[in-house]
Amino acid sequence: MLTRTRPLAPASPAGDAPPVIETRGLSKRFGSVAALDGVDITVTAGEFVAIMGPSGSGKTTLLNLLSCLDTPSSGHYLLDGIETAALDGAAQAVVRREKIGLVFQQFHLIPYLSAVENVMLAQHYHSVADRDEATAALARVGLGHRAGHLPSQLSGGEQQRVCIARALINQPALILADEPTGNLDEENERLVMALFQELHREGRTLVLVTHNPDLGALTDRVIRLNHGRLEA
Amino acid sequence: MRRLLLVKALTRRNTRVAVAVAAIVMGAAVVCALTSLYLDISIKMSEELRAFGANFFVGPPPSQTTGQRGIDRTRLAEAIRTLPAEKLVGVSPFLYGLVRLDLGNAVLAGVDFVGLRKNSPYWQVEGGWVAVDFDERNAMVGRRLAQSMELKPGDAVTIVNGDRSFQTKVTVKGIVESGEAEDDQIFVNLSLAHKLLGLDGRVDFAMASLVAQGAEADALAADMNRRLPEIDARPIRKIARSDGQILDKIEGLMALVALIIVIITTLCVNATLTAMVAERAPEIGLQKALGATDRVIVVQFLTETAVIAAVGVSVGLVLGFALAQVLGHAVFSSWVGLRVAVVPLTLGISLISALVAAVVPVRAAVAVVPARVLRGE
Ligand SMILES: Nc1ncnc2c1ncn2[C@@H]1O[C@H](COP(=O)(O)OP(=O)(O)OP(=O)(O)O)[C@@H](O)[C@H]1O
Ligand SMILES: [Mg+2]
Repeated sequence: MLTRTRPLAPASPAGDAPPVIETRGLSKRFGSVAALDGVDITVTAGEFVAIMGPSGSGKTTLLNLLSCLDTPSSGHYLLDGIETAALDGAAQAVVRREKIGLVFQQFHLIPYLSAVENVMLAQHYHSVADRDEATAALARVGLGHRAGHLPSQLSGGEQQRVCIARALINQPALILADEPTGNLDEENERLVMALFQELHREGRTLVLVTHNPDLGALTDRVIRLNHGRLEA
Repeated sequence: MRRLLLVKALTRRNTRVAVAVAAIVMGAAVVCALTSLYLDISIKMSEELRAFGANFFVGPPPSQTTGQRGIDRTRLAEAIRTLPAEKLVGVSPFLYGLVRLDLGNAVLAGVDFVGLRKNSPYWQVEGGWVAVDFDERNAMVGRRLAQSMELKPGDAVTIVNGDRSFQTKVTVKGIVESGEAEDDQIFVNLSLAHKLLGLDGRVDFAMASLVAQGAEADALAADMNRRLPEIDARPIRKIARSDGQILDKIEGLMALVALIIVIITTLCVNATLTAMVAERAPEIGLQKALGATDRVIVVQFLTETAVIAAVGVSVGLVLGFALAQVLGHAVFSSWVGLRVAVVPLTLGISLISALVAAVVPVRAAVAVVPARVLRGE
């Protein structure tokens, strides 16, 4: 279902590593509002990139396009070499489950499933649920002992770490996080950020939307948006 | 995992699920009860309705050549013997004449009380029936006649014949009401009628009640007429036809009630599922974000609906069969047997109703846009 096409020229600026994300003239309009206007970005494998910008500048819109939750009005988006703009809904769903791990500001855990079952849900839609693997992923984010707890029995920081474990479980090519620490206190913010840095050191590709310049400073590179355009 | 999701999704919303299950139970129970009644009772019912008053006339030919009135009693007995015993519900001869009672004249009918009773299950009787056909001391009086003669059960009344040559005293055993000519008549047994009216050994005609109608009744009449030329036998069409009409009307009514209940069930299940989908929009958005395709979402909701329907139908079948017994006893005073056809019929109707109810909610679930429901506040 997924077809690989050649990456658009020019090649990635970071040298040898292949681009995971490559957009050309990516635009999204909501009626008369141009939420995103001709955005060209390239993120290479293993990069940790922050997207920053004022409220309403199009960060979430961009992230939704990058995660294939939305389709652009115009422009191209190559994810891991696959042209996604032309995909239909079902194919987009396949891309999401095969390539992308999502971390949400609101966690979005299913309230009646335990921590480990929430992680298993991502496995279920990807391939096959495996409780041991899911428990290991929870242990990885320091929650091995809370696997059987419901989201309501976990703190905000713990819920966010469950969400990260769920994003990691299928070994995605790309982890996308929209203000993942927006609902957390400083202590938990540091914990989550430390996790992201650890993942980065392991060679994962991460894109993080944040308002916090301190967090932006911890990444390889900051992409700034303003009124739907890249800032120079 | 799929089963886990199913179980947790359903048990988590137990009130909503309970409402949907209850709706299906109600629908399935009514469909099951009415189809059970329909399939099992309709035969019994038509038998009862056919016995609803006499439907077979045995009398003299229209142009009697002998100059005698009515038919001979032994000839009548012969004629009745030509009818198959298992088809014959009851038979009574009738001999009519004018008599004087204490307060005025009345039409007297000589009958066989046992046969008359079988032929007239719908008569309203105050007091009781004359229990044996050789009872010459008791009589039954029509409602209107009893009123004008100021008679009630237990009263004695003197009957005097036309030329005042014979009189006798009888006790009013019961007051009968048929809504027809009988309400103005007094009934005694045939042998007493002969003493009062003369005409020994003769009757005007007989009425029988047969479990046969249409061509079958025609054939029985033709057979009797062929064997006994001095007799004119014919089925009484009017009653047979109205039997069918009543039956049709009852069936139509049952179908209408079932239809209305199924529609209400469908609407109720639809409302419940719609509320459930609205409640779960964020969950559905998340499932899609995690890579669930529309097909997966559709299958998930239809499975939930099917489970709800299956539980509802199982309970509904049991309840419906119990309801059929209650209705069977209340209306027809008889047990209702379980017909195998009821199960697939109820199952089919309930499943279709549940699926129809699920169409709009499932569309709503498919229409959930993850980017919208997952957006942070
Ligand atoms: N579904 C939508 N319909 C109409 N307009 C929209 C929609 N989604 C976003 N917008 C508009 O697009 C612009 C960019 O929105 P977006 O949510 O991407 O901003 P953001 O950078 O994420 O802001 P914030 O920092 O507040 O989260 C805004 O002007 C917003 O009002
Ligand atoms: Mg945003």
